[in-house]
Amino acid sequence: MKRRQFIQRALCATAGSALFGALSGKLSIAHAAAISEDRLLGTDYRALVCVYLYGGNDSFNMLVPRSGAPRTAYQNARGGLALPVAQTHALNPVVAPGDGGSYGFHNAMPQLAALFNRTATPSPLAIVANIGPLLYPITKAQYEAGSVPVPAQLFSHSDQSVTWHKPAADLAVRRGWGGRLADMFFATNPNQDLSMNISVDGENVFQAGDNVVPYFVGQNGAESIPFVGEESWNADRRAAFIALRDAPHGHALQRQYAAVMRRSMANGTLINSALDGAGALATVFPDTPLGQQLRMVARLMQVRGVLQMRRQIFFVGIGGFDTHDRQLEDHAAQLGELDGALAAFHAATVELGIDDAVTTFTASEFGRTTSINGDGTDHGWGGHHLVLGGAVAGRRIYGTLPNLTIEGPDDAGWGQIIPTTAVDQYAATLSRWYGVPDAQMSTVFPNLGRFASANLGFMNT
Amino acid sequence: MSAHAAATEAASVANAAAGGQRAGIVEMRITLRMAAGVAASVLACATAHAGEHLFDSGFDHRNEGPYSDADAARFLTQATFGPTLAEIARLRAIGYNTWLAEQAAATPSRHRPYLEAQAAAGLDVYQNSRQEAWWLHAVRGQDQLRQRVAFALSELLVVSDQSGAIEGNPIAMANYYDLLVEGAFGNYRSLLEQVTLSPVMGHYLSMFKNRKPDTALGIRPDENYAREIMQLFSVGLVQLNMDGTVISSGGQPVPTYNQETIRGFAHVFTGWNWANCPTNNWEWCPSGPVDWPEPGWDAYWLQPMAPMAAYHASAGTKQLLVYPGVALPNGVLPAGGSAQSNLQAALDNVFNHPNVAPFIARHLIKRLVSSNPSPAYVGRVAAVFANNGLGARGDLGATVRAVLMDSEARILPTLASNRGKLREPLLRLTQLWRALDGRADDGRYREWNPEYSFGQAALRSPSVFNFFLPDYRPPGELSNLGLDAPEFQITTDTTIASVASALGAKVYWSWRGQGGQSPEDIVVDLGPEVALAHNPARLVDRYDLLFMGRTMSPFMFDTITGYISTMPNTNSGRRERVQNAIWLIQSSPEYAIER
Repeated sequence: MKRRQFIQRALCATAGSALFGALSGKLSIAHAAAISEDRLLGTDYRALVCVYLYGGNDSFNMLVPRSGAPRTAYQNARGGLALPVAQTHALNPVVAPGDGGSYGFHNAMPQLAALFNRTATPSPLAIVANIGPLLYPITKAQYEAGSVPVPAQLFSHSDQSVTWHKPAADLAVRRGWGGRLADMFFATNPNQDLSMNISVDGENVFQAGDNVVPYFVGQNGAESIPFVGEESWNADRRAAFIALRDAPHGHALQRQYAAVMRRSMANGTLINSALDGAGALATVFPDTPLGQQLRMVARLMQVRGVLQMRRQIFFVGIGGFDTHDRQLEDHAAQLGELDGALAAFHAATVELGIDDAVTTFTASEFGRTTSINGDGTDHGWGGHHLVLGGAVAGRRIYGTLPNLTIEGPDDAGWGQIIPTTAVDQYAATLSRWYGVPDAQMSTVFPNLGRFASANLGFMNT
Repeated sequence: MSAHAAATEAASVANAAAGGQRAGIVEMRITLRMAAGVAASVLACATAHAGEHLFDSGFDHRNEGPYSDADAARFLTQATFGPTLAEIARLRAIGYNTWLAEQAAATPSRHRPYLEAQAAAGLDVYQNSRQEAWWLHAVRGQDQLRQRVAFALSELLVVSDQSGAIEGNPIAMANYYDLLVEGAFGNYRSLLEQVTLSPVMGHYLSMFKNRKPDTALGIRPDENYAREIMQLFSVGLVQLNMDGTVISSGGQPVPTYNQETIRGFAHVFTGWNWANCPTNNWEWCPSGPVDWPEPGWDAYWLQPMAPMAAYHASAGTKQLLVYPGVALPNGVLPAGGSAQSNLQAALDNVFNHPNVAPFIARHLIKRLVSSNPSPAYVGRVAAVFANNGLGARGDLGATVRAVLMDSEARILPTLASNRGKLREPLLRLTQLWRALDGRADDGRYREWNPEYSFGQAALRSPSVFNFFLPDYRPPGELSNLGLDAPEFQITTDTTIASVASALGAKVYWSWRGQGGQSPEDIVVDLGPEVALAHNPARLVDRYDLLFMGRTMSPFMFDTITGYISTMPNTNSGRRERVQNAIWLIQSSPEYAIER
């Protein structure tokens, strides 16, 4: 089986994709002499895991001010939705937050709080504050004057859940930086038949590359079709099925369907046999959707040798974060699920001895408004995110914590907080750890140079 | 339905809903229902109007069809949940116009009564029951086109039982679906209003108990419904030409609204609570006239929401949509007005935006016919939405007819044109069950969780964005060719296999007479098929007609016929011929793409 199994053949490069194709050429390993030898061809394994929170996570109730002026601003803004201090888990960062406050996690996140606060061994959990899509750094005055461009369709789910994944917020094509990394690194994997991008939560933009298409598995493994299995009694039917599948098709959608079917079957066999041959993990995962998705990720990492993968990118996700109403109940449930699943996943990477080779990070289309609508919040802009892994310089809050005061200096209006860190910077920091050379970073992230720093510093390289 | 019948029904609706504060809405409803009644007859081209050319738009001067079984099968694939040989023969005999007239006149199959009947029989009623009703009407309903259009509308005016706010109310959700069923051939302005005031939608997109600003409590109006009614239910994000192409200004698309507009609508959509709420009891308004668990404790889930003036943001102007010909100067709704009057003005403002015509036209074409219609096709259908020929805007019946009877729908496109669409997984199963009379002995369709294997289920999408976006393009060839392929968004490596597996299970492992079935199992009837299976070529041709409208390639025909000929001409061998022929078709790329 050839690489062509999963690389989508382009019949022609249209104007829209020409630029991307040109960039892909620059990014290919053949031209990337600057990437260090052992990163490319050696024994080191690196994996990124994107944990996507659909709906716009209310991170201002995930990371909660407990004292000082930030607490006051938070209480005034949030009113009945403000979490009492007693309902938060105090965090003890190495460096006190620069805004004079102290912070805690939502009540539903005790395990992540413990990981953050750990001092016996280095903490694997960091917080990156107030991230959002930007085209340029922007102040409130500039935003109100409209004098600095901002990404299109802010506050719209369908747009921001695409924009958040793009390597530049104004990139015309629907591609994610996880896909861009895959285009860059796929050639390093001994196995050229299985996509290095695997999703346990189906379709997503994050992993959409120009040449690499994500492969989807379920929580229980790859799907296979019993009627055309490789058992002897299926042989004739399987032959007929494959003949129909692989016949030359004169219709583009037929060709696409056939291509997906081919890929599905080939990879299903590979993955299921690898999983069947592996021993059970000792780590217990919660029986929640996110817990089970991350359990599958851990199992796939466990068999990375059989799959012959050195560079992988995974995508998992859960919904339920669009808390326009019933926020207090619903958000607690979702954060509890996040807490249990992430803690278990980190424990599994430790069990597998790859905790410093795996970095997990959250993403969500936006934070939410500081102001409330009664029993919920609406679409915001900037929000806090978590980075977890053995290579993370944990027990720190990176970036700049925003002023949550209603109509304050960071309020774009109606409680939508202006990001103080661009997604580009967040993604570039993760990509740098993953193996993208500094010299190539601005090729991967075209707008990166507009922001103060290409490396937020939360990874111990 | 005739205009007279519509008026009669509207009058009874008025009587049932009598109440001073709702008179204005009822009056509007009567007017719209009369229009809907006329519209439904326009769908039918009813012979009562013999001599009138209701669609003198050129493309409809062709003579009555269909002229072949293949054409009939193609039409029924678009207009129903799957062709049957009987229906192909009927359609051949009576022609498109009479068939459409019959469909317009057919009694709507409502979903809510099915659930209420189960409740009355003492069964526990959950979302499972709602799925049963959906399958029953999709597979066996006589009003096939109406059900098909309702399903298409359910993928536009989305609510989903994945929301905790409505998951516990399956009867209310079935009632919501019935709005789409009853409104499928009616007026879109009317449907939009009913959806807006549905407590199901109110809970799903948080308009229910949305309240005017309260600076003391730090509350401002919830923007959820305001955003989605524009982005998803009517105008979309960017200005469109009538043919659905995007208007470009200086190389950039032109947004239809901004954050200010959203706030304007958010303020309009305030003050709505349960029907029959005691005055000034905003917080503790009950959901029914009696307390739980008395029957009727949730009765108001089934009635439109009602306004409470004290919680409506009457003060202040509200920026609504701006467009050429907008009735409100600069799209600004003046301060004052009641919740009802402001709602009417806002819905009128939305409904009359020029975008609505191509937006709805394109959606219906993509659900029924093709993922990549020509702009001219979209434009022809949009023109009918804008004016049904009788001066009415928003006539869904006429619009559906325009979708189906356009030459671009009726003429088989070439392979090279890339026209057509990837069949939705649910429709592949309904097609199988209709073709093979799939049913359980006790009459119930216990297909409760199709989302597991098929990736979709009625009113159960992951979000308000349905199962797939209308302009989704998978990376690779389709993206490079600029082809939309929405259904591919749920065609993952996992689901492409699980769909094929599930369809196989239905035909290989659940057939009438297999032995070991219970009265609850849905079984297909292979008897009539087996009777023909001694002749492989004839058998495959039968399924070519039923499943593929006789578009099967010679290679596919030969491959399947050759394979099934290797099975012996015995009872079990003939049955295997049938099963293998059907499954190899349903799992093939040629079948997957409907042309």
